Amino acid sequence: MRTSLSQSALTTRRDLMGLAALGLIASAAKPAAGAPDGELRVGVHVSLAPTWFDPAETPGIITPFMLLYAMHDAVLKAMPDDPMAPCLAESGTMSADGLSYALSLRKGVKFHNGDPLTAEDVKFSLERYRGAASKSLKDRVARVDIHDPHRLTIRLKEPWPDFLTFYAGASGAGWIVPKKYLEQVGDEGFKKAPVGAGPYKFVSFTPGVELVCEAFEEYWRKKPTIKRLVFKVIPDEATRLAALQRSEVDIAYSIRGELADELQRTPGLTINPALSSAPFWLYFPDQWDPQSPWHDRRLRQAVSLALDLKTINEALTLGHSRATGSIFPVNFEFYWQPPTPVYDPASARKLLAEAGHARGFDAGDYYCDTSYANIGEVALNNLREVGIRVRLRPLERAAFFKAYSEKKLKNIVQGASGAFGNCATRAEAFVAKGGTYAYGSYPDIDALFAEQAVQMDRARREAILHRLQQAVHDKAMYAPIFQLAFISGVGPRVGQSGFGLIKGFAYTAPYEDMTLKGKA
Amino acid sequence: MKQYIARRVGYSLLSLFLLSVTIFLFVRVTGDPVSLLVEPGASPEDIENIRHQLGLDQPLWEQYWHFMANLAAGDLGQSFYYRTPVLELYFQRLPHSLLLAAVAMALSLLIGIPSGILAAVRVDGFWDSAGKIFALLGLSLPSFWVGLVLILFFSVYLGWLPSSGSGGVAHLLMPAFTLGWYFAAAHMRLTRSSMLEVLGSEYIKLARLKGLPEALVIGKHALKNALIPVITLAGINLVVMINVAVVVETVFAWPGIGRLLYEGITFRDFPVVQGVVIIGGAMIVLVNLLVDILYALIDPRIRLES
Repeated sequence: MRTSLSQSALTTRRDLMGLAALGLIASAAKPAAGAPDGELRVGVHVSLAPTWFDPAETPGIITPFMLLYAMHDAVLKAMPDDPMAPCLAESGTMSADGLSYALSLRKGVKFHNGDPLTAEDVKFSLERYRGAASKSLKDRVARVDIHDPHRLTIRLKEPWPDFLTFYAGASGAGWIVPKKYLEQVGDEGFKKAPVGAGPYKFVSFTPGVELVCEAFEEYWRKKPTIKRLVFKVIPDEATRLAALQRSEVDIAYSIRGELADELQRTPGLTINPALSSAPFWLYFPDQWDPQSPWHDRRLRQAVSLALDLKTINEALTLGHSRATGSIFPVNFEFYWQPPTPVYDPASARKLLAEAGHARGFDAGDYYCDTSYANIGEVALNNLREVGIRVRLRPLERAAFFKAYSEKKLKNIVQGASGAFGNCATRAEAFVAKGGTYAYGSYPDIDALFAEQAVQMDRARREAILHRLQQAVHDKAMYAPIFQLAFISGVGPRVGQSGFGLIKGFAYTAPYEDMTLKGKA
Repeated sequence: MKQYIARRVGYSLLSLFLLSVTIFLFVRVTGDPVSLLVEPGASPEDIENIRHQLGLDQPLWEQYWHFMANLAAGDLGQSFYYRTPVLELYFQRLPHSLLLAAVAMALSLLIGIPSGILAAVRVDGFWDSAGKIFALLGLSLPSFWVGLVLILFFSVYLGWLPSSGSGGVAHLLMPAFTLGWYFAAAHMRLTRSSMLEVLGSEYIKLARLKGLPEALVIGKHALKNALIPVITLAGINLVVMINVAVVVETVFAWPGIGRLLYEGITFRDFPVVQGVVIIGGAMIVLVNLLVDILYALIDPRIRLES
């Protein structure tokens, strides 16, 4: 028996493909009447790499998706109001045994070069994929069967509850490239002149300077309203803000701290905070060592109570980050909301006294990545106020994550992660036994983790993962700080900037929804 | 002479070899590039996969062997970040760096030499003091600060110049001035001291005693000799400007080699850092080699002594 993915109790995503099955996506996206017009310039904070033009090489970071959303399209992808919206797939079903996923592709979709998008391209893109999570996918996908140009089935070797999480979220495997064109031009040729099925087609790329794209009027979902998109690389934050103030760019990504304050005060400019999928936290790597003071749960709870998250948030991100009380991103599947964190230094001192540290104690080193040492500086003062005396040890980013993953850090670690996935994949790395960043684990949490990994019933799996997150909270394994807001600026010419439309996505998207004032 | 040149070429090759070993080892002690190419929390399989793709799972000696074998074939490897050959990246950026360095150098000489002459001929006067202050500021103000102040003033407040990027003459002015000021100050100081030395020499006194006009004494007789060390320094500075305008190119989003190096360092892009440093080092070694040979040709005592 095959079950529609949208209704299946076996699905990993309850809402998967439901909208498309009802034809709502297509009807909601009414084509714009006029021809695309005008130019929108985006001041980008990082150098654009040609490898990002090719979905097959998608690394495990969010930045390349900034370009993928413009030039390419996916079978399923995160869209407004739907973290896994059907795009190139019109409908799909998962078999009862969880071993196969049958997909029906949208008809009439074309690549920028005019070639029709078919099941061959979907198969080719999955098999060619070599980016983040490619090993996980290749180890588990048995084969792809093509039935006709618009129908195919992806068969797995064994049931994998997170297949769609990886295929449609945590990798670029579901983003489709044209097989015929790629075979003609090769990998290098593709990076020089990428062809996709997204709302914008590649025009030119000047390394270190800019990427220019032009509206693809035949885009299936919606004709873009803006004719040209120019991504200008401006690595310096102050220069990016100046470019926005001078209207050299219409959008400037990543403006932080005092500069964000100035952005907020500049007439005509709008501040656009987007909640990223990157929570920050304090971790106690010695909590499993009976000799360590951090073995005492009360001390770990005291740290949580001592952190003045509101002040930290206001000072660093103008209050736009969200203190969720969790190390799991609020926009992740299977998220469980813990009680709201409170700032209560008196209770923190009381817990310290109960743990035998009425006069406070020397808690050792506080390690952090230098890029976010500013969070550490404020947190350090908060901890000192209640008697937890720590020394700030900022480490250069690469060195910090190397030491963190090699389990060389002690006392307190200020960590963060913006990795893709869901609450299960996050727990695997940071909570469960053997996790890359887990210095120890608890048997009950490990048992829950193992139980959810084989549970194909979504509701049951969700319940298990909620219990797991609650256990993480109850044991005070972490002292969560906040889920970071990615602050960007928008100039006066922009109508719909696209910020915040897709939950957890820091950049502007979908591009076809963006407008310039008076041009929509 | 042939023996002398052969020896100098040998020393140059040895210098480049030592440079290659040093930079190869130094970049590798700075941290793991893979941790910057994935989000914290990425699976160990992904991390291993990337490490394998980049060849970082090979033993160090094997990585060095590949690096040297490729280098001998004129291949500087492929950028970890851009996944593009380093040489291709370098030559994409080189024209921008050459243009910026040429204009910055011209500005630095146009400002530095006249102000140095003026300071020397009006020693301890107003122009000398003004020149000292100019040099002090030029040498001491950090270029990122100068760049940002220029952007604020000329771009944001006055709206005369674009804040960043490359394109026309207008884009070039602020980065060239920011880069050139530091070197203008250095050239001004050297011109001043060199002029003072020359102006105190016997042949200048003789020229004055002969009743030659002061402008001719300074412009013709003193300046020619005083400029020799300035021109020598400017030549070396030009190579430095091409290769290490890191801060200026970053602040002004100028797509030159300095920014390529900055990106390479930021992302632990070993091949890029190695490539830029080795090409920069080769340029300096080559310039020094040519200077040595020229000196030996001009003054036979040098080759005989060595």
